Amino acid sequence: MSADLLTLLGAWSIATLRSATPLIFTTLGETFTQRTGIINLGVEGEMLVGACVGFAVGVATGNPWLGLLAGALAGAALSCLHTALVLGANANQIGSGLAVWMIALGTTSYFGRVLVGNQVTPLPDLGSPLTDGLPFLSVFFGQMTMSVPLAVAAVVFAAWWLANTRSGIQWQAVGDSARISSENGIRPGIVRFKAILLGGLLSGFGGAILSVDYTQTWAQDMTKGRGLISVGLVIVARWKPALVLPICIMFGLAEVAVLRAQTAGWTISPHLMATAPYLVVLLILIVSHAMARRDADMPADLRSVFA
Amino acid sequence: MMQVNRDSILVVSATILAFFLLMVGFFMLLGKPPFEMIGMLLTYALGDGYSISQTLAKTTPILLCALAAAVPGRLGLISVGAEGQLYAGAITGTAVVLAAPGLPAALMLPAMLTSAALGGAFYGYVPGILRARLHINETITTLLLNYVTVLWVNALVFGPWKDPASQGWPATISFPQAAILPALPASRIHLGLLIGIALAIALHFFFTRGASAQKIRILAGNRKVGEMFGLNFGTWVIMLMAMGGAIAGIAGIAEVSAIQGRLQPTISIGYGLTGFLVSWLSRHQPLIILPVAFLVGGLVAASDALQLFAKVPAASAIILQGLLFAVALAVPGFIKSMRPGYER
Repeated sequence: MSADLLTLLGAWSIATLRSATPLIFTTLGETFTQRTGIINLGVEGEMLVGACVGFAVGVATGNPWLGLLAGALAGAALSCLHTALVLGANANQIGSGLAVWMIALGTTSYFGRVLVGNQVTPLPDLGSPLTDGLPFLSVFFGQMTMSVPLAVAAVVFAAWWLANTRSGIQWQAVGDSARISSENGIRPGIVRFKAILLGGLLSGFGGAILSVDYTQTWAQDMTKGRGLISVGLVIVARWKPALVLPICIMFGLAEVAVLRAQTAGWTISPHLMATAPYLVVLLILIVSHAMARRDADMPADLRSVFA
Repeated sequence: MMQVNRDSILVVSATILAFFLLMVGFFMLLGKPPFEMIGMLLTYALGDGYSISQTLAKTTPILLCALAAAVPGRLGLISVGAEGQLYAGAITGTAVVLAAPGLPAALMLPAMLTSAALGGAFYGYVPGILRARLHINETITTLLLNYVTVLWVNALVFGPWKDPASQGWPATISFPQAAILPALPASRIHLGLLIGIALAIALHFFFTRGASAQKIRILAGNRKVGEMFGLNFGTWVIMLMAMGGAIAGIAGIAEVSAIQGRLQPTISIGYGLTGFLVSWLSRHQPLIILPVAFLVGGLVAASDALQLFAKVPAASAIILQGLLFAVALAVPGFIKSMRPGYER
């Protein structure tokens, strides 16, 4: 293979991974939450808050890692509102998620105004003398930051944890039936609280990756439905953490294809091109629903929310 | 029956009280005198003729979007697609005006409104058929589809539909006089409001009287029972989703024609989501939606004025709506758990 082609391949692969990374964290978080039988549309808001707070802290401290941490904590804090409404007041889960989203949308567009136009110190890339000058690898690592290997590691760990640890199995049991699991000495309320909190933490982290690491800017409503997309992708991934990785990479590939087509001078309206990610998600939702045995993998308690 | 009424009065008054307290807290956080601000909110919403006309101008799209959410809501569906359907209706309605700008008003208005309703209906039909045939959750698909039509409007007004005379400004030509919905003189109260009120009353009868009302109630209560009676859940899903979409489509062309006078990128300031909130607060009951849409319309209009005169952030409207939503979700469950003998 020619060196040019390898360079191109390297650039596409890393661009795809980087575009998928924020979504991997958010989708993984929502997978955990849904595995315990709770749907949280508020991840859109938690991602937004994570992006806003993460960017603000990143700018203020000059340390991107502190920004990512703050973003994750902000997402977790906001998710407590969903917990309070859904577990505390027994409110409708879909309604609660939308309320969380509205509050986050409003507050971030207010507090985020001062952030517009600021610059954040990005995470360092992973290029090193070891890979410099090598075909494929130099581009691949030269444009990669720690967020990518972290996302892959998170997926692997999540899949292992859910299937093999005592707590992971307890979480699955709660999702399949809160009633039976509580008869067996598990406290479903506590498990669901933890799962919503973890979902918020990962969504906030994903949002912070988006603003601090991927786009390195803040803009009002910058997640543009990525959180909602991740709720859809959880279904496509059949509630399996391991499938989150390939599914999100598919989404990343679509997004990169759009960006590349634009720079390659396609004459299609950029606004029309921007519809592609949503349509791609819709398409894979349709394909996966048409192919899968209906709802076979869905946590049983989630069925009452969906149907 | 008495018990139900006492309960709902308790829930409503507790919700209003809790929302009031949250508003006080919100304005204190902003460093504004809370009671003065709430007083100003009321004045700017309902204080004089001008304020009321502004409130009614905001009420119109909110009312139509609330009805759009309520129609599928009666079947237990959670459609949050009014925003996208509103934009879809704006596109298909505008298409008529651009294709035949010379039509007389007697032809133009019905053609424009019908086309908008059809565009919105199509945009409800798609998530409807996905739900009915493939069991894809309608909340997720409607939310995703919202982003798509907003981008379509952008693509059109930046591209083929752009008025060449408008310099850099992305917008279509100004609508001819025949394509402007009639309005009360010197106000922004237009035919759309009348359509909304008429639809609310018609839907009230549709959902409470007659055979369809019965069928919808049975299917919403228990789908299996309904199917035993030979009712087809999927058909009703598709029909009600499309019907809701049509109503939101009318909201879209009404904003474009009566308020903005041309199609441009920002038609709606989240009317779809606000309408969904109104429908939810009203438990999808058309006659309750009427006053609630008016009150929330007042909140939105007054937040606009407050932003102008009291330097309250523009985002206040959506924050306050989110808080109202959260309170309305929390209060019933909270009251229930206060009852003696309540066990989780």
